Amino acid sequence: MQAIKVSNLVKKYKEHLAVDDISFEVNEGELFAFLGENGAGKSTTINILCTILEKTSGEVRVFDKELGKEDDSIRDLIGIVFQNSVLDGKLTVKENLYTRGSYYGLSKSEIDERLSQFMDVFELKEIWNRRYEKLSGGQRRRVDIIRALINEPKILFLDEPTTGLDPKSRKIVWDYIDYLKKEKKLTIFLTTHYMEETRDADNVVILDKGKIIATGTPAELKTKYASSRLVWYTEKNTGNDKLLTDFDFSYDVDHYNVFFKDNLTEFIYKNKEYITDYEILKGSMDDVFLNLTGREMAK
Amino acid sequence: MRKFMGLTKRNLLIYFKDRQSVIFSMLTSIIVLVLYLLFLKQSFVDAAESAMKGLEGLIDKKDIDTLANCVLLVGIIGSALITVPYNCLSTIVNDKENKIDYDISATPLKRWQIVLSYFSASTISAFIMSSVVLTLGLIILQSQGNLYISSVNMFYSYALAFLGSISATAFFMIVMFFFKTSSASGAFFGMLSAASGFVIGAYIPLSQFSNGIQTFCNLFPGTGVTILYRNTILNGLLDKINKDIGGVDNGEFVSSMKDAFTFKGALFGTELSPAQTIIYILAVLIICIIAMILIYPKVYKRK
Repeated sequence: MQAIKVSNLVKKYKEHLAVDDISFEVNEGELFAFLGENGAGKSTTINILCTILEKTSGEVRVFDKELGKEDDSIRDLIGIVFQNSVLDGKLTVKENLYTRGSYYGLSKSEIDERLSQFMDVFELKEIWNRRYEKLSGGQRRRVDIIRALINEPKILFLDEPTTGLDPKSRKIVWDYIDYLKKEKKLTIFLTTHYMEETRDADNVVILDKGKIIATGTPAELKTKYASSRLVWYTEKNTGNDKLLTDFDFSYDVDHYNVFFKDNLTEFIYKNKEYITDYEILKGSMDDVFLNLTGREMAK
Repeated sequence: MRKFMGLTKRNLLIYFKDRQSVIFSMLTSIIVLVLYLLFLKQSFVDAAESAMKGLEGLIDKKDIDTLANCVLLVGIIGSALITVPYNCLSTIVNDKENKIDYDISATPLKRWQIVLSYFSASTISAFIMSSVVLTLGLIILQSQGNLYISSVNMFYSYALAFLGSISATAFFMIVMFFFKTSSASGAFFGMLSAASGFVIGAYIPLSQFSNGIQTFCNLFPGTGVTILYRNTILNGLLDKINKDIGGVDNGEFVSSMKDAFTFKGALFGTELSPAQTIIYILAVLIICIIAMILIYPKVYKRK
């Protein structure tokens, strides 16, 4: 079943086109990644899907509920982890989660029951009575995710959930996301500007200046838009340059970078007497973005 | 209902869990108290003593002291009824600034429930704070001498706290609409703290100002509520003093005290009776609620 179906979505702010006629689909249970730089239109799209922002035109359906007509039903189906924390700093973790749970009409016992399943997995007990503002970045993100899950949503929107986190906290957040996908079978809609975070996605949409510029699985995108690279450690001379004339190559300090679409192993095998010190680098999502936009992704 | 109650509870917690916010919301009341201890009390007592010349033997000095203390209590409650709801409602601006309203808007809460929860939380906070001050003040003053407040007036005092809380909240809901950042609302709070003590006549009785300024001050519902408080809390004591005088001055002393400490509101040179003051406050309340109903859908409309 389709979790989300977006057709010709447009969002305009006066003269600025934030989202420019995009269409895509998200299947139930998949990890769907929306990749793009800051200002590409990722958060605007998420905010439209989550009933926060008005669309200028287009059609959006969330589990077959039409956005703009069945918004209350959509709100019951979604959970969102916003880019910036939106919980109350002066309140404890417990108070934050109980008040948020009540926004969905849940009783205290229902909230207790829902939270009990996350208590151990998300190590909630240790921070339960601490003020949200006193938590570390990673701990806050943990609570943000639980807050987003309190209404037992069918889709979890994660708007750049790891931005600003240290590598250890980032890994922890990703462990939770994996857990939710595998154990809870949640549909996860992720926006990110970290290329490597789309690695495990079932489908990726690359957004640039409000437009979709590519879609596919990470493997498909890499095959289509990124080349494998031979890094050949040798000195630069005319003989070596001549050997590589059929390829796109450059020389960097102590090695050649040679870009291939195919026949890489065949080329190495044919020239094994010359190419002795080398490594092969697979095309990355960074290369995909670079090839699609002509720009490197901001780290 | 549970959704609305949940958000109202959250808004209440935001105010009460932030000790600094609670203290700052009572700043004007604290200033009134400090000024009273420094010099206001003496000026109130001096005003009463100059009016009681020739009646010294008939009026108990302790009653004059109680009179001044009750004027202080009214000033403290009156200013709290302005600054507490304002402070509590600043949550609206903070939520907008920090995009917490996005989180709230993405839940099944209806837009009117969101607006009403801010309104309710502010009214409840102001009612709690003013009731606590009122109760403590009455206990302390009663322990120092009889206040001569009837049980009906005692009940009426709490009803006034509610009227003051709801009218100030309705008024400030409109004001809050214009602030986009908490620094702007904070700057306005600074001005409000400084001005509110004067507007309600806590520092200097309004009777000492010109008609124009009195009219301006009386436009604010908080001033009317403070005037009603003076009547409710002080009338019993003034009746007792009048009885002690025994008609020797034809009620001149009590009348002069009521003039000096402003027991009647005045709009454009016309005096308002307590009943008219209540009607005026209710009219302002209704106008503000109507304005709120018209304005706030724009705030929570999807952009």
